[in-house]
Amino acid sequence: MDILHAISNSLPALADGMVITLQITAVSVVAGIAWGAALAVMRLSPVKPLAWFSQAYVMLVRSVPLVMVLLWFFLMVPQLIQGLFGLSPRTDVRLVSAMVAFSLFEAAYYSEIIRAGVQAVSRGQLAAASALGMSYLMAMRLIVLPQAMRAAVPALLTQGIVLFQDTSLVYVIGLADFFRTSKNVADRDGTTVAMILFAGAVYLAISLLASGAVKVLQRGKKSFELI
Amino acid sequence: MIEINNISKRYGSFQVLTDCTTSVAKGEVVVVCGPSGSGKSTLIKTINGLEPIDKGDIRVNGQSVGGRGTDQSKLRSKVGMVFQNFELFPHLSVLENLTIAQIRVLKRSSDEANACGLKYLKRVGLEAHAAKYPGQLSGGQQQRAAIARALCMDPICMLFDEPTSALDPEMVNEVLDVMVELASEGTTMMCVTHEMGFARKVADRVIFMDHGEILEDTSKEEFFGNTDARTDRAKQFLARILHH
Amino acid sequence: MGSTYKWNWGIFLDPVSTGEPATYLDWLLAGLQNTVVLALASSAIALVLGVAMGIMRCAPNRWLAAIGALYVALFRNVPVIVQLFAWYFVVPEILPVHMGTWIKELPSMTQMMALSTMCLGLYMAARVCEHIRAGLGTLPRGQRFAATALGLTLFQAYRYVLLPVALRVAIPPLTSELINVFKNSAVVSTIGLLDLSAQSQQLAEYTGQPYEAFLAATLVYIVINWIVMVIMHRVERKVRLPGYIGSK
Repeated sequence: MDILHAISNSLPALADGMVITLQITAVSVVAGIAWGAALAVMRLSPVKPLAWFSQAYVMLVRSVPLVMVLLWFFLMVPQLIQGLFGLSPRTDVRLVSAMVAFSLFEAAYYSEIIRAGVQAVSRGQLAAASALGMSYLMAMRLIVLPQAMRAAVPALLTQGIVLFQDTSLVYVIGLADFFRTSKNVADRDGTTVAMILFAGAVYLAISLLASGAVKVLQRGKKSFELI
Repeated sequence: MIEINNISKRYGSFQVLTDCTTSVAKGEVVVVCGPSGSGKSTLIKTINGLEPIDKGDIRVNGQSVGGRGTDQSKLRSKVGMVFQNFELFPHLSVLENLTIAQIRVLKRSSDEANACGLKYLKRVGLEAHAAKYPGQLSGGQQQRAAIARALCMDPICMLFDEPTSALDPEMVNEVLDVMVELASEGTTMMCVTHEMGFARKVADRVIFMDHGEILEDTSKEEFFGNTDARTDRAKQFLARILHH
Repeated sequence: MGSTYKWNWGIFLDPVSTGEPATYLDWLLAGLQNTVVLALASSAIALVLGVAMGIMRCAPNRWLAAIGALYVALFRNVPVIVQLFAWYFVVPEILPVHMGTWIKELPSMTQMMALSTMCLGLYMAARVCEHIRAGLGTLPRGQRFAATALGLTLFQAYRYVLLPVALRVAIPPLTSELINVFKNSAVVSTIGLLDLSAQSQQLAEYTGQPYEAFLAATLVYIVINWIVMVIMHRVERKVRLPGYIGSK
């Protein structure tokens, strides 16, 4: 079939696009969780300015569309990078601005997940750790956060799958991720219908597989529940 | 050892503790009882600073709790506390529960900490369970482990906040037995509890609280023996609780 | 960077350089109008469809439950931009010829609005479905039995007994979805529909003042967010059941 030929001929390009998609996903998940955890700890901290900053950050980021965030960082990041490092190749700048945008954006969502995880840890745990002489930060680090993060893993992974799908929005800044590449191939070959359906099928398959993996992980995780 | 002077505390508009004064001498065992909501749990939590006070002063071994010169963390490490809900750390093994504070707070080496942990696990009869996780233990076993965890810090006194209230009846005695042994060894103890049998056996003094005030603070013999001289509310409480 | 950029907030009142009798602010407001219309229309579709799907997923009939589950699995696991392109490029081609042609012959604006509304509506419906399902799940099983024991049909049971409570329980997550649809609507800029985000890009291009353009659009989104939350908060308080778990 012509369409299958068209797709198989474009596989290298599509693979490159998928690599970009996965790169953005991977970097943003790691950076997003790290910054999100910091935001969560800040939000729960007794130091008022930190708590206020964290709350404002999350509220702000969550009220703005991802499209706008991507546009913003595509506007600002190139100038920042040029200021710091001198000129750099254009495509790298799109990728970097996308990674920065996603990391900072998703961190707000990750911080809410982690915060919920921390609040689900019984307050008695913090009291018991304090009673043994641990400082607030030590108690958070050794006792509360480990439990919170373990509880939050399924939600964090699910958010990661959402992130994976959201990367397709880099279309608006012209970055050649998997979807944009599919569209480019479609425009070149005139196979729009097939390519869009193909792209949709790929995202569907990967997302379903990943969700299934998360469910399996959840089932094997009951070891830390107290009687 | 423990001095509580005129302490008061409120939560918002609710007065939890009003002008409470008492003390615990070295080697003494003091039982605190009273109806729920009387503030007895809050009282005991003020001693190691888990609950801050609004007025008054608390001293442990001469050091002011919450005072500016006091190292809170160090003070807490020296005051052992056992909680109603055990509060073992579920992501650590039983032995790790006992050693984590020894290593991180007391800065002991892990060999020292493990040896001490195993020693106290043996004392409470749990050495076979050292590698297990809290989720695999019964309530009684968890509470005994929690007592061992507090003992590993070589505390100068032990505070118990309703240690048997969350246990099924058949497990209450295994925990009380450990506490009776501690008392007989001369440990300074303050226990919030409903277990009057335990109080009659090992307490030196009994404190009765109601609505945030200390209404009775007498010797065990006086409290249980001379019921006529007790305040009305104490009499009501005794009548209800001693019916079991 | 900052020192070389010249801020000019006056551009909003400048007439547009294409010659049409409008200011740049008018363009932005036109975009806002499209965004609001899209969001509200999609929400209406999503609410009706989502409630129906949510009930289907709870149905004792295995086929109905499976259809609901498939729907959710499909619409939640494909990115919204891919779904939009599918509606815009694929649907007119795979529909029966006369329907496809009819769509393609619609005025461009109407075509884009209609297809975008369908896309956003069905996408949102999948999420609404899950919230309704969760809301129905919080009801004790006996509620349905009590209703049918009184002689109510299953339809009546859902309409008069189960849904009223489930919907109240679902108000917080549904509020999130309402906020989400306003944000998701920004994706229509990719097919050329001039919503608020697209207009901000237009402004940036035509005036050379991207910071002012983006800031204005961002601010509007934040205000929309706030308005939705205030309205839904009022709605929640108004329909609250006294003494029910979750109400204060």
